[in-house]
Amino acid sequence: MADHKHPRPPWGSLQLRAGDILAWGELTPEDFRPAGSPEATAPLRPGPEGSYRRDAWRRFRGNRAALGALAVLLLLVLFALAGPLVVPYGYAQFHAGAENLPPYHYALADQERLEAELSRRAQAAPDPEEAVERALAEAQARGETLTAVDLARIRAEARAAQSQGAVSEAQVRRELGIRPRLGGYSREDLERKAAGEAVFPHLFGTDRYGRDILVRVMVGTRVSMLVGLSAAALVLVIGALYGAVSGYCGGRVDAVMQRIVEVIYSIPEVLVILLLSTVLGDALLAYANTHTGLLARAVPLLGKNLISMFLSFGLLYWVTMSRIIRGQVLQLKGQEYVTAARALGASGARIIRRHLLPNCIGQIVVTTCLQIPSAIFLESFLSFLGVGVTTPLTSLGSLASEALEGLWSYPYRLIFPAVILSAMILSFNLVGDGLRDALDPRLKR
Amino acid sequence: MAREILKRIGTAALTVFAVATLTFFLTRAVPGNPFLSEKNPPQAVLDALNEKYGLDQPLYVQYVKYLGNLLRGDLGVSVKLQKDYPVARIIGEMFPVSAAIGFFALLWAVLLGVPLGCLAAYRRGRGTDSALQVVCTLGVSLPSFVVASLLLFAFCGGIAGWKLFPTLFQAGDWRSYVLPCFSLGFYPMCYIARQSRASMLDALGQDYIKTARAKGLRTGRILFKHALRNALLPVLTYLGPQVAFTLCGGFVVETVFTIPGLGRYFVQSISSRDYPVILGTTLFLASFLVGMNLLVDLLYQAVDPRIRLGREAA
Amino acid sequence: MRLQQTPAPPPEGRPLLEVRDLRVSFFTPAGEVRAVRGITYQVDYGEVVGIVGESGSGKSVEAYAIMGLLQPPGRVVGGAVTFEGEDVLAFSPRALTTFRGGRAAMIFQNPMTSLNPVYSVGEQLMEALRAHQKAASRREAAQRAAGMLERVGIHNPERRMRQYPHELSGGMRQRVMIAMGLICHPKLLIADEPTTALDVTIQAQILELMKDLQRQTGMGILFITHNLGVVAELCHKVCVMYAGKLVEQGAVDDIFYRPGHPYTEGLLRSMPRLDDQERRRLIPIQGTPVDLLDPPAGCPFAPRCPHAMEVCLGRMPPYVELGPGHRSACWLRVREGLSTSPAGGEEASHG
Repeated sequence: MADHKHPRPPWGSLQLRAGDILAWGELTPEDFRPAGSPEATAPLRPGPEGSYRRDAWRRFRGNRAALGALAVLLLLVLFALAGPLVVPYGYAQFHAGAENLPPYHYALADQERLEAELSRRAQAAPDPEEAVERALAEAQARGETLTAVDLARIRAEARAAQSQGAVSEAQVRRELGIRPRLGGYSREDLERKAAGEAVFPHLFGTDRYGRDILVRVMVGTRVSMLVGLSAAALVLVIGALYGAVSGYCGGRVDAVMQRIVEVIYSIPEVLVILLLSTVLGDALLAYANTHTGLLARAVPLLGKNLISMFLSFGLLYWVTMSRIIRGQVLQLKGQEYVTAARALGASGARIIRRHLLPNCIGQIVVTTCLQIPSAIFLESFLSFLGVGVTTPLTSLGSLASEALEGLWSYPYRLIFPAVILSAMILSFNLVGDGLRDALDPRLKR
Repeated sequence: MAREILKRIGTAALTVFAVATLTFFLTRAVPGNPFLSEKNPPQAVLDALNEKYGLDQPLYVQYVKYLGNLLRGDLGVSVKLQKDYPVARIIGEMFPVSAAIGFFALLWAVLLGVPLGCLAAYRRGRGTDSALQVVCTLGVSLPSFVVASLLLFAFCGGIAGWKLFPTLFQAGDWRSYVLPCFSLGFYPMCYIARQSRASMLDALGQDYIKTARAKGLRTGRILFKHALRNALLPVLTYLGPQVAFTLCGGFVVETVFTIPGLGRYFVQSISSRDYPVILGTTLFLASFLVGMNLLVDLLYQAVDPRIRLGREAA
Repeated sequence: MRLQQTPAPPPEGRPLLEVRDLRVSFFTPAGEVRAVRGITYQVDYGEVVGIVGESGSGKSVEAYAIMGLLQPPGRVVGGAVTFEGEDVLAFSPRALTTFRGGRAAMIFQNPMTSLNPVYSVGEQLMEALRAHQKAASRREAAQRAAGMLERVGIHNPERRMRQYPHELSGGMRQRVMIAMGLICHPKLLIADEPTTALDVTIQAQILELMKDLQRQTGMGILFITHNLGVVAELCHKVCVMYAGKLVEQGAVDDIFYRPGHPYTEGLLRSMPRLDDQERRRLIPIQGTPVDLLDPPAGCPFAPRCPHAMEVCLGRMPPYVELGPGHRSACWLRVREGLSTSPAGGEEASHG
C-alpha cells in the first residue's frame, strides 16, 4: 500500500532459502518444537535475601580507605581501653625526679659523660648574675665604676652565651658520639635498671609534673572517644525523635517545630556552646554545692565542663539530624504501607517506630557516624581553650593545650596527642564517608 | 520574593533576639554578682551597682532595661581584664585585627579551594583527584590548633634553619600574617574544595551538560560556562557557615600566635571569667554571623535566577 | 496520516546516516553490559526513521554513540557509523564539535532539565548558533534566534529570549530545545523521546511541529520512542529494538499491518487503537527484559515469547526478508519459509 513511498533499501535481500538455513545451521525439524512454558526459562533471577545489606557491605569492603580507617579505629580503641592496663603508671600519678623527660634516654654512662660535658661548657659561660658580680669585682679591683648600661650589657652577653650552651645539647651529644635510645627513663629508673630491675619506660616522655604522657594520651583518647560517641548518641536520640514527630504530625505542629529549628540553626553553635560551657559550668558548680540529687552528684564525677558540654550538644547540635529525618519521614509518609498501617488502626508512635524509622536507618547511621568526629573536634577545641575537660581528667585537646606552654623545648608533648587526635578524626571521617557511599550510593559526593 | 526576603530578615532578627535573651538569663544564672571583680565588695559598692544595673528591680523590668541598653549599644564594662573599660569599645578596637586575618584566610581558602575542587571533579577517579581527596579529607580532620601549633613550631624557630616568620605578632608586618592566615584558612579551603568537587560532579551529570555537548560546544566552554556557574551557587551557601568556622578557628589561631585580636581576648575573658566581656562579645559575634548568613542568603538569591528562597534550602 | 512528502533523492547516491553492526558496551564493576549488540540500519536524506523499544533496550545509548556523546564507562566496541560518507567514530574531538549541533543535532527527553537554569533562553540559543558560525555578530545571532523561536511556534520571541528556562512551561521548553537543535540547519535531527515527559495534548502539538519542520527543511530525523502511536504519526520507517538488537525493521505500514516478529505483535497488542472494529483487550507482554550483563545465546525475546521453540533458546535467528525493506529476526518466519516452499528464494539472488 505504501510501498511505493519507500525506495528499496540498499542492504539487499537477506532472505535465505529454507534449505540453506537448515544445512547451514544443522537444524532439524525437532528444533522447531515449542519450548516449554516461557516462565520456566525466563531469565528472572531474584536477588538473594537481604541483598541490600549484602550489597552495602560489598561496597564498603571495596573502599580501601574506609577499611584502613576502620582498622586504625580498632587499634585506637585498643590503645585507649587496654593501653592503661599495660602501662604501670597512673594518668594523674606524679613521678618525682622524672619531670620533663624526653621520649628517649641515654645509657647511664653516656648520660654521665653528657652531663659532665654540659656542665663544663656551662661553667665556661657563667651565670649572668655571677658574671655581673665578677665584672663588678674586677672593676673594683681596677678602681673603676660600672654604669647600669654596662651591667645590662654584661648580663645580656652572659645570657646569650648561656642559651647557646643550652641549645647545643644535641650538638654535644653528636660530638661525643652518644646515641639516644627509645623510651624515657629518669636517672633513678636507669640506676634501678642497671641493678637488674625491669622498669617500664616513659615511651612518650613525661610532663613537667612527671606524669607519664603515654598514659595521659591513652586516657585522653578514651575521653575524646567517649565524648564523641555519647554526643553522637545524644544528637541521634533527640534529632531523630524531633524530626520524626515533626515530619509525621505535619501541619501546624510541623510549622512551629520547624520555626524553632530554623532559629536554632542560625544560632552560631560554637559561640553559644562556649558561652554555655563557661556560664553553665559556674552555675552547675554552685548548684552541686547547694543541692543533692543525681545531677549534683554527677558534677564532681564528670566535671562541670563536661556536663555543660553535653547539655550544649543536646540543646543545639541535633538540628541537622532532625532535618534529615524529617525529610525522610515526609517522603515515606506518603507511601502506601503507612496508610495501610494507619487504616489498620496503628497508633502514631507505633507507625514511627515500626515503619518510618527503620526505613531511614541508612541516613541515620551515616549522619550519626559523621557526627562523632565533629563532636570530637568540638570537644578538643573547647578543651584547648580551657572550657572542656579539666584536671584531673584529661583529653587530647587539653593535652595539646598544656603542651603549648613548653612548645619550644618539648615539641613531642604536642605532637603525640595531635597525631592521635588527627588520626582519630580522620578515621571517623573516612569510615563515615565510606558508610555513606555504601549505604546510599545516590548520596555519593 | 520580597516576602521571602522579609521572612529571612525576620528569622535573623529572631535569632539575635534569642541569643540576647539567652545571654540575659545566663547572666542571672551565674552565682553571685557577675558584674563584680571581688568576691565580697563593700555594701555601698554593691548597692550602687545594683542600682546601676537595676538588679533590685523585678526580673522583667531588668530584662526590658537590658534590651534597651543593647539597642543603645551599651554592652556594659569589663570587670577583670581592663577594669571599667566599656565592652563596646574593646570590641571596636580588637575586632578589626581579627577581621583582617579572617578576611585574608577566607580569601585564599576560596581562591584556592574552588579551583582545586573543580579540578578534582574534572579529573575524577584519576591521580590528581585522589591526591586532592587525601589532602582535603586530612584538612577537614586536623583541628586548627594542631595546624597552628605545628606551623608555629616548624617555621618560627623550632626546627633549625627554618625560622622564616617572626614568633611575636606585629601588626602591619606582612610576615606576621602569613602563618595565622594559612592555618586559619586551611580547614575552610579543604572544606570548600570538597564541596565544590561534589557540586561540580553534580553539575557535570546534569542533562543541560548533555545538551551543551550535543550543541557542539568545546570542552572548556562547557566546563567554565555551563558547569562552573551552576557548581558555584551551592558553594556560596557554604560560605556563610564558613565565616563562622573561620571565626571560631580565630579563637585558637589568635591564642596560638598571640595575636591581640578579639578572638584571643574572648578566650582570655573566658578563663578570667570576665562576664560582661564574654556576654557582650558573644552577642556581637552572634549578630555578626547571623548578619553574614543573611547576606549570603540574599546574595544567593540575587545570583541564581531560579531560586525561590525557603523552597527547601537543603 | 503520514507525511505525504516523498523523501528527497539521496545526493551522490549514498544515505545520510548509515549504522552498520554497531556495538556499545558499558564496562561496569559487575562486568561488561552489552547495551547495543550489533545493529544495522540507515537513514536517507529527508527520511524519518523511528526506533522503538522499551526502556533499557539500548535505543538511547545507540543514539548517543552516533553523536559521539557516550561517556565512560560506555564505549563503542564495534561497527561503523557513517554520516554523509564520513566515519563519525573516527572524528577527532575538534571535528566532533563541528559535527554535533552543526550537521547533526540532538534533542532530549526531559526539557525541564535539559536547559541550563542559570542562563536565559536567548543566551543558550545564540550560543548554539555562534558555536558553529563564529562570524555571526551578536545582533545577527539574536535575530536568527528570534526567527527560529517564531518558527517553532513561540510568540513574542524577543520577550521569551530574555526569560529563564524555569519561567517557561514544559512544552515551551521543548520548543526551545527544538529551535536550538535546528538553528544551524542540521541535516539530521536525533530526537530522544522528545515528547515522553510532556502532557498528552502538548505531545500532539510538538509532534505536529516536528512534522511541519521536517517537511519545510527536508532534514532526516531519527526518532527514538517507546510509543508506537508516535511512530505511526511521524515516521516513514521503523526499527524495533529489543535487548540491544534490531528484531524487526520495515516501513510503517509493514510494521503496523504485517508485523513479522512476536515482540512487535506484542507491542501492537499492548497499544490502544481507535480504528479497531471489534472490542479488543489490551494485552501486556509478560515477563521482564533479559540481563545484558550475560545475554542469552538465542533470541533475546524467547523467554517471554508465547511461540518460543527449542531453537529460539539456543540460537540467534537470522534476518528474513518479508517484503521490500521489511525484515525480521525470528525463527517462526524461518519455519514458515520451510513449510511454504522457498517461494521467495528466486528473489534472493537479487542481493
